[in-house]
Parts: sequence; structure tokens; C-alpha cells
Amino acid sequence: MPQLALHGVVKTYGQTRALDGAELDVRGGEIHALMGENGAGKSTLIRILAGLEKSDASQITLDGAPVTLTSPAAAESLGLRFLHQELQIVPALSVAENMHLAHNYPSSGFGLVRWGGLRASAKAALERLGVAHIDPRATMGDLGPGDQMLTRIAATLVDTQGPRPWAYVLDEPTAALTGAEAERLFSALHTLRAAGHAILYVSHRMDEVLRLCDRVTVLRDGRHVSTKGRDQVSRDQIIQDMTGRDFATLYPPASAPNQGAPLLQVRGLQAGILRDIAFSVNAGEVLGLAGLSGSGRNHLLRALMGAVPRQGQVVVKGRETGQGPANAWAAGFAYVPRERRAEGLMLLQPLADTVALPHMPALSTAGFVRRSWIARLVARLAQTVRLKAQSQAQVAAELSGGNQQKVLFARALAGPPVVLLLDEPTRGVDVGAKFDIYATIRGLTAQGVGVVMVSSDLPELIGLCDRIGILQAGRLTQMLPAAGLSEAALLALCYEKEVA
Amino acid sequence: MVRFLRHYGTLMGMAAIVLVFWALLPQTFMTARNWLNITQQVSMLTVVAVAMTVVMVVGDFDLSVGSMASLAGIVAAVLFTLGFSVPAALAVALGVGLAGGLVNGVLVSVIGILPFVATLATLTMYSGAAFILSGGKTIFGRDIPQSFGDFAKSGLSLGSLGDKPVVLPWLTLLALALTGVIFVVLELSTYGRRLYAIGGNAEAARLAGVRVTWLRLTAYGFTGVGAAVAGLMYAARVASANPTQGEGLMLNAIAAVFLGMTLTRHGQPRVLASVLGVLVLGIMDNGLTQLQVDSYVREVLVGLIILLAVSISALGRKAIGRR
Repeated sequence: MPQLALHGVVKTYGQTRALDGAELDVRGGEIHALMGENGAGKSTLIRILAGLEKSDASQITLDGAPVTLTSPAAAESLGLRFLHQELQIVPALSVAENMHLAHNYPSSGFGLVRWGGLRASAKAALERLGVAHIDPRATMGDLGPGDQMLTRIAATLVDTQGPRPWAYVLDEPTAALTGAEAERLFSALHTLRAAGHAILYVSHRMDEVLRLCDRVTVLRDGRHVSTKGRDQVSRDQIIQDMTGRDFATLYPPASAPNQGAPLLQVRGLQAGILRDIAFSVNAGEVLGLAGLSGSGRNHLLRALMGAVPRQGQVVVKGRETGQGPANAWAAGFAYVPRERRAEGLMLLQPLADTVALPHMPALSTAGFVRRSWIARLVARLAQTVRLKAQSQAQVAAELSGGNQQKVLFARALAGPPVVLLLDEPTRGVDVGAKFDIYATIRGLTAQGVGVVMVSSDLPELIGLCDRIGILQAGRLTQMLPAAGLSEAALLALCYEKEVA
Repeated sequence: MVRFLRHYGTLMGMAAIVLVFWALLPQTFMTARNWLNITQQVSMLTVVAVAMTVVMVVGDFDLSVGSMASLAGIVAAVLFTLGFSVPAALAVALGVGLAGGLVNGVLVSVIGILPFVATLATLTMYSGAAFILSGGKTIFGRDIPQSFGDFAKSGLSLGSLGDKPVVLPWLTLLALALTGVIFVVLELSTYGRRLYAIGGNAEAARLAGVRVTWLRLTAYGFTGVGAAVAGLMYAARVASANPTQGEGLMLNAIAAVFLGMTLTRHGQPRVLASVLGVLVLGIMDNGLTQLQVDSYVREVLVGLIILLAVSISALGRKAIGRR
């Protein structure tokens, strides 16, 4: 059986050390889980494995012989295949054609496609994977996400010249799948394993990992923590390995929440998968929202902003808020979205324009923009959030991730806000900027602002929040004080329903 | 070097074109009369191009401006033949322009058809309407009021140069005034800044409370009215209306905005840059006509100039992206 081993993998991005001595070995005939919190270095390790990213230092061996992974082509020639969450498919073409995109179509000379040969080749590969229920003539776009993924896997089994694949890397493969589709995927993975292939399985879903995998490797802070066989691990053990850091010093002290009338009251909120959401936030309080991806935590903030259609009451300072983001901003909400480039910034426009945009009514007279007001406001806010930019006219595209995030914080502070909604506020932000952002949040609560914050960074939630709500499959199932909560306990609460 | 070319290439090209024509046409090109003539020649295109800038700021475009210009001219001329007064006929024609523009806006913004497809369809519809209303004929002669045609032939007297009077044409002044209006709208008003925000990132603008659907729709009102104004200017200039006389405006207007975008730092459409783009096209046309270059050759040359400017801009952006 082939064996690929990575030792002492180091990778730094600027100041941040993403990987610091990571290790991984994958053998033919096993399903190997790679686990770790967000930021533990899983994706970086996989990008290095895929040849998309160059490590600063590493020893990589295939069956004991040193190899290099310097390009995607190198990874492919070593027999590695990668299936990402967003599948590369051409929806308008047939299954058989999709399976041959990376290969030469069987042809009968003059470049004419031999359609029979194409379908036969696809059918053989599908049968090899045990997924003969997929018709090679079907249109790819008509298939469900599960069958699309199986087709992509089967495509790697198409007979061709060149090195045969033996190791598959699947990144959160079941995120978009139904239960039945996931079952089909699992049985296909078993087929691959029985044929001597290796599968590296990256997932947050504890149940799947425990059920499916032969060995589990856990990363934490870019370091290798443990690699254990299935009989040696338990849910608690994995959570223990994934967590367990000391961050007490990272977070500013909480300000005492005001116990008066709540700033924000939400009653009977329904939107998308969200059902019967009810909670309130007091002045000076930070409410954290935790949950697995797909639990509706990000959707909840979008619903509060009116960015998605919703039912139910959203009451700010005793007044019900209308639909639509314009009404939400007017009511005193301020929003820092999760995808700052896609949802927050006008990348090629002066940063002052982005800051001023939601506050135009207050920064204009009779429909005319007051440039001097904007300049003064932005200057003040830039100081508050410690923005580092050459000038107010600098475009956001030229700023670092941390400073881009600070532009959005400056925008959120301009109101000033009554309730601040933060979606993954420190995502992709370096440690120094994280500090500034935490200090900014607590500075606001000291002035009586209420904060609702979604984060997949559990230590951050525990360290920064006063209370934490747990979302599971669109319902708010728990609401508990953050003080004294351990990361392991919080993670266990997010997983709770799966246990039962 | 590439970056330098990207920022100043179009301006240097413009200067080079002027110098070449000056050298080849020493008697006639660099004269006040010729320049005033150029400004009049490009006045219609200027109006359409600055209006086009508004929708291009949002990230859309409008292919129907040419046929709307024809339609507006025809509407006014038909009303003249029916005995309407000049102000009444012009008001109706402008109303048709506004309505046609808003129809485009509804199709693109509310219904969600791609701007290319929606305005291509209305292009043929407005053109067809112009033919139906006019019966396919040119409306001219006694049907067109004297005052309407005189407007385009006169202007503001600037005194005299030597023995010839120098007159700033009303058409030029009208184009300048409308450019000023669009400048105020786009650069100074909250409305305009919101349009730029939509063009920069529509989803981010929506989440920031900008009423994206409504603003995108209204932006097409500007191209509709701008095209109608240009159509009326043209009809006044030739004292007649013809269902095809707006042809060519659309492509040239889009070309002018693109040329202007090569001048701005981050490749955004800006009103004054669009006017410079119009001038490049106008100077080329004027100079080549005086040099008696065949009109087909002229078209090839104009196309080449546009490609050159936009290529330099695109290459420059790639070079910056690679930094």
C-alpha cells in the first residue's frame, strides 16, 4: 500500500504562522480524518498538499522516497485528487462529458467524438465506484449535489494513461448533501478504501468522522496534536485535542451590561431555515451566537438586517423595524458582514465613500453630499478603530485584510449604532488587528451599545461575550452565560443534537 | 512604463492626434472657428455619452439610445405636422424619452433581464416605432417650424475675430449645460454616490441600505432623456427628422465612455472623462474629414484608436495586479 507522509511542515503568512510543525501520514486502504478548529491550519495543509501553496519548510515522502509538491500538476502526478466544496462541473454538459473534461475524449479521427466510447468509458468508471444508478447520458446540472460529487469522484477512475490516483482529499464533502446522499457517498468511499485507495476526510462533523474513519489526526494552532486509531479516540478526546488553549489575556474585560429595558427584542422570527427565534439584548451587552455551519447563525444576522425576507418582530428601543437594510440602518442597526470583499467593500472606491454610504442622509443637505462632514467623520472614526491607510481617498483593494475590516467597523460606528451586528468579525485578520477589534467592541459596549456577534472561533465567543446562544438547525436551543464556559463544553453543546 | 502609459496614454494620444492634424492642416485645423465647429459636431454625442455614463456607473449600459434619439426626433416632427407648438412637441418627445428609458430600467432592474438583451430588444422596438410614426419617410420642409431649426444655426456671439463673427453655438452650450447637470448629479449628490456604490459592489450597497433596484431603474431615465435631447438637437440641426438619424450614436457613446474610463485611476466611468472621450472621437472625425480620408477608412482608424486605448489600459491593470 502506498504511503504519503508530511513532516515538520511550516508555513507563515506575513506575521502569522499558519503551520508550525504539522505532520500527517496517509496510507492506502484507510479513511483518515483531519480535524481542527478554524484557523488550526487544516486548509493551509491541504493547499500545500495540492501544490497550490509552497511550504516554508517540510519533508514529504512517498513510500519513503522524498518528493516535492510544488504545483498542482506535481500533486496530480503523485496520484492525489482533491474534491472541494464547490465542485468544478459544467452543468449543461452530460455526466459522461463532465467525467472526461480532464482527459481526451475517445475520438474516431478528424477530432470527432466517439459518443458510444465516451459513454462506455464513463459507465465503467461509475460501476467501479458502485454508483451505477447515475446515467452517463444525464445532464450534470439535473443531478443532485450528492450525485454530482460521486460523478466527480468517478471521473478520477476513468481509464487513462498517466499515473493512477490513489489518494483522495475531501473537504467538508457532506456540507450540501442530504442524509441519503451522504450515505451513498460513504458507501462509495468504502468501495475506494477496499480497492486500496486512501481518503483524507476533512470535516467538522464529529458523527461522520467517528463512523467513517480509521484514523484521526488533530491539528491545533498549526501544530500536530495527535494521530490516533479509531479504537483509541472518543468524541470528548477529539474535542479535548482540538481545544485547550490559554487565551485569558487576549480579551478586554467585560463592561457591566445594563439591566434596564432591552435595546433589542426579537420575537417569533422566521426566515429561511430559522424558526421561532426569540431573544433580547441589553445595553452594554455582547451576545454571541454559536452553531455549526448550516445552523443558520449567519442567516440570523442577515434577517435582523432585513437583507432576507422575514416574519416576526424585530424591536429596537421599543420600536418595530421595517423590512430592508435601509430601515435596519435607520433603526440603529449597524452591520459588519462576513464576506468583507463580497458584501462590505467597494474595492476600487475611496474608503471614505464606503464608510459614508449607509449614513448618506445624515451626511448631506438637500440631496447634496457634504464632503467636509464626511472627511471629519472618517478622520475621527479612523482614529477610533486604529485604521492604517495612506489617505481617505485610498481604495480598499490596497489595504490589508485587517485594515479592510477596520473600514467596515468605522462604517458601523458612524451612526452611532444602537445594536451592532458582527458576522465573523475577526475572520482572516491578523492577531494585532484582532486586538484592536476586540478593544473597539468593548469600547462600544461601555457606551451602551448592544452587540450581537456570530463567530466560529469558540475561544473568541467565550472570551468576548456576556451570553452565548446556541443555534441548531435554525432553532435557538440554548442561551447561557459565557462566564465559566469551557470551549469543550461549548463545542459539545453545538454538537448536542447529533448525539441524541 | 506600462503604468505611466495606462494613466496618461489616452491624454498623450489625444495630444498626438491634435499635433498631427495641426501639422497636416496648418491653415484650417487649429482655428477658433474649427474648434467651435467641432464642439457643435460633437454636441449630440456629448449629451448621449454623459447620459450613458450614468448607467455605466451602475455597471449597466443602454444600447437603445440611438433608436430613442431617432424616435424622439420623429415624435416631435410628427407633432409639428399636427400643429403642435414647439414647446408642447418638445415636451412630449422628452416624455417619450423618459418613458422609454424607464421601460429599460424596469426590464433590467425589476424583471432582471441582462442589459444587453433588454436594451437590444427595445432598440429594435423604438426604431420600429420611429418608422411606424413617420411612415418610413423623412419629415422636413414646411412641417418643421422655423424657430426650431434656427436654434441649431445660431448661438451666443463672442465678438469677432478679424472680419468674421465668432459664435458659440447654442447646441454646444446645451451640451455643456447638460454635462454640468450630470456632473452635479453623479459627483455631488447622494444619488450619484449611491450609483457609484452600486457599480462598485451591488450586494454590499444593498446591505448598506441602498435601494439598489429603484436606483438602477431610475438611472435608465437619464439615458432615455439624454437620447431624446440628442435626437431633438439633431433634428433641429438638419431641420428634419428621419427614422434612422440616431444611428451611430450608441456605439460612439459607449466608445467615448470606455475611452474616458481609460483616463481614470481605477477605470471607473466619470462624466468629464467621458467628455474627453467624445472629444477624441470628434477631433478624429473632424481632422480625417478635412484630410478627405475615405469615411470607411475613417471608421477603421477610429476603431483602432479605441482598441489601442483600451488595450493599454487593460495591460496596465494586469501589470498593477501582478505587483
